[in-house]
Amino acid sequence: MPSAIVATELSKTYDVKVRDPGIKGALAALARPRYRQVRAVDNVSFSIERGDAVAFLGPNGAGKTTTLKMLTGLLFPTAGKAQVAGYDPWSGGNPFRQRIAFVLGNKQQLLWDLPPEETFRLNRAIYGVSLADYTTRRAELVELLLLGDLIDKPVRQLSLGERMKCELAAALLHQPEVLFLDEPTLGLDLEAQQTIRTFLGEYRRRHGATILLTSHYMADVTALASRVLIINRGRLLYDGELSELVARIAPIKRIELVLSETVSRARLEEYGTVAHYAPPRATLEVPRETATAASTRLLTDLDVADLSIQDPPIEEVIRIAFGETEQDAEEDTVRTDVQRAPP
Amino acid sequence: MSPASSRTPFATFRDQYAELMRSAFLVDLQYRASIAIWLIWGVTEPIISLGIWWSIAAGGAVDGYTREDFARYFFGVALVNQATLSWDAWNIDRWIREGEMNHRLTRPIAPIHEAIADNVAYKTPTATIILTMWIIASLFWPAVRIPFEPGRWSLAIIAIVLAAAIRFLNGYATGLLAFWTTRATALVELQFGLSLFLSGRIAPLSLLPPRVAHVAEYLWFPYVLSFPVEILTGAVTTSEQYLRGFAGQAIWLAIWLALYLVVWTRGRRHYGAVGG
Repeated sequence: MPSAIVATELSKTYDVKVRDPGIKGALAALARPRYRQVRAVDNVSFSIERGDAVAFLGPNGAGKTTTLKMLTGLLFPTAGKAQVAGYDPWSGGNPFRQRIAFVLGNKQQLLWDLPPEETFRLNRAIYGVSLADYTTRRAELVELLLLGDLIDKPVRQLSLGERMKCELAAALLHQPEVLFLDEPTLGLDLEAQQTIRTFLGEYRRRHGATILLTSHYMADVTALASRVLIINRGRLLYDGELSELVARIAPIKRIELVLSETVSRARLEEYGTVAHYAPPRATLEVPRETATAASTRLLTDLDVADLSIQDPPIEEVIRIAFGETEQDAEEDTVRTDVQRAPP
Repeated sequence: MSPASSRTPFATFRDQYAELMRSAFLVDLQYRASIAIWLIWGVTEPIISLGIWWSIAAGGAVDGYTREDFARYFFGVALVNQATLSWDAWNIDRWIREGEMNHRLTRPIAPIHEAIADNVAYKTPTATIILTMWIIASLFWPAVRIPFEPGRWSLAIIAIVLAAAIRFLNGYATGLLAFWTTRATALVELQFGLSLFLSGRIAPLSLLPPRVAHVAEYLWFPYVLSFPVEILTGAVTTSEQYLRGFAGQAIWLAIWLALYLVVWTRGRRHYGAVGG
């Protein structure tokens, strides 16, 4: 059986207009526009088997969403090829669109003024789902996503988490083979994040759907995907098991502190590595297994106004895993400036 | 797991339209207060124009137009304008600029069908309201009565549908320019200004200075308002007038359809190249 997603040397280069700040800069840009070529995705290749769930990780602007937009046929690649559910995303037309779903965490397709049920009905018709299939699938999605009476309330009255659950239901009524999710848990409370993670796992098991998701949250990744793709500045840096990645990075937790008293940096070093120090705030990095103990000691020893334990952000994981510095990043974003005549 | 349905493509398409119109109508119901205000705004302009021409024609007919002729004309303008107006450029512009086009492009139906369904769902009830108001007004005010001639009314309906299609494609294609520019809606506003004179919104075209009327003849404006209104009021009588009007509508419909197809195909490619 062919793979669900195959990306072969995908690249995407944008021309971005550059201008200096101020009125002078704006006028100069009018007279002689300058463009900078930004390589959003650079020669990315991978393949995902049917029924697999893979997480696409990377900091903001790394090229995750651009890759997803290419794989869903929204963007044409500057170079390279792709096959999704057996189709070329750019020429597959409606048969291709019938087989995929693309959920963007920060954009909604639900009809804002009406209950989600209305979007479900609309999607049933748009995707040509029979009434019998619709009834079964809708019941299943309502049950798995704990939608209950949410589907009868106008979307505008739903919380962000409730909306995202309904978005997922609307996107899955046609039972797509391949599901693309861009930051599906972004900005949601912990409970909603958890429901969505559990749901996606269960849905994949039941229907053998292939999932490619992007996320900022490590928890999404650990719950859903055993395999991760790490992309940074358009380049694929890692493609492999999540466990290997965790072994590769220092398995740490971050303790974020707000102190009520002045505590020296040296004193904080006694509890862990000080990653950030700007009194009254400080961030410590401690080995994962000692995070709870270190927190208890901090709370006992020091006058702490606020304390939270967090996973290192993905940016940090990437930095640690690949030993890249901020400077590398700086150098890399300066690309060739090209002068061109106005279009 | 295949989502393929055993139904014919036509049945699926009909089902898609029915649901698109249903949800558009339900959304409109949520905005009934705004729609009432737009309706009032829509009839205000012809009422003001009528008021002006009514007083100008106090001393007698103006170029053959009596007060009663003006009254019928502007009632016709209110109805035809409501049935043919196009706000699509603003919608499309927003879809593109705010990323709302993305999910529409991943669905197995072209976004234009949603816009068409939206138009039908909005215009059918609102134009019916204006027609009803006209019928009520004609009970009390004989000047605005139009003789019931099924043949003429049928031709008027065809002309109104064609006019709505031209204005829709004009607005939709212009809105699609948002794939390239942030100034797409400014172009629509420019057209809106021109249409005041050239489509017969503020005066019957025969009252315009000959040069302006001559320019209008070469554009689509007279065919999207003046022509259907004049069928209704009885100003179009000869078969030559009908032929010229419908031929003009057919030509401009073909032109705007072709322009839409070009802008859509290229815009889609451009969007695919630069993203949204």
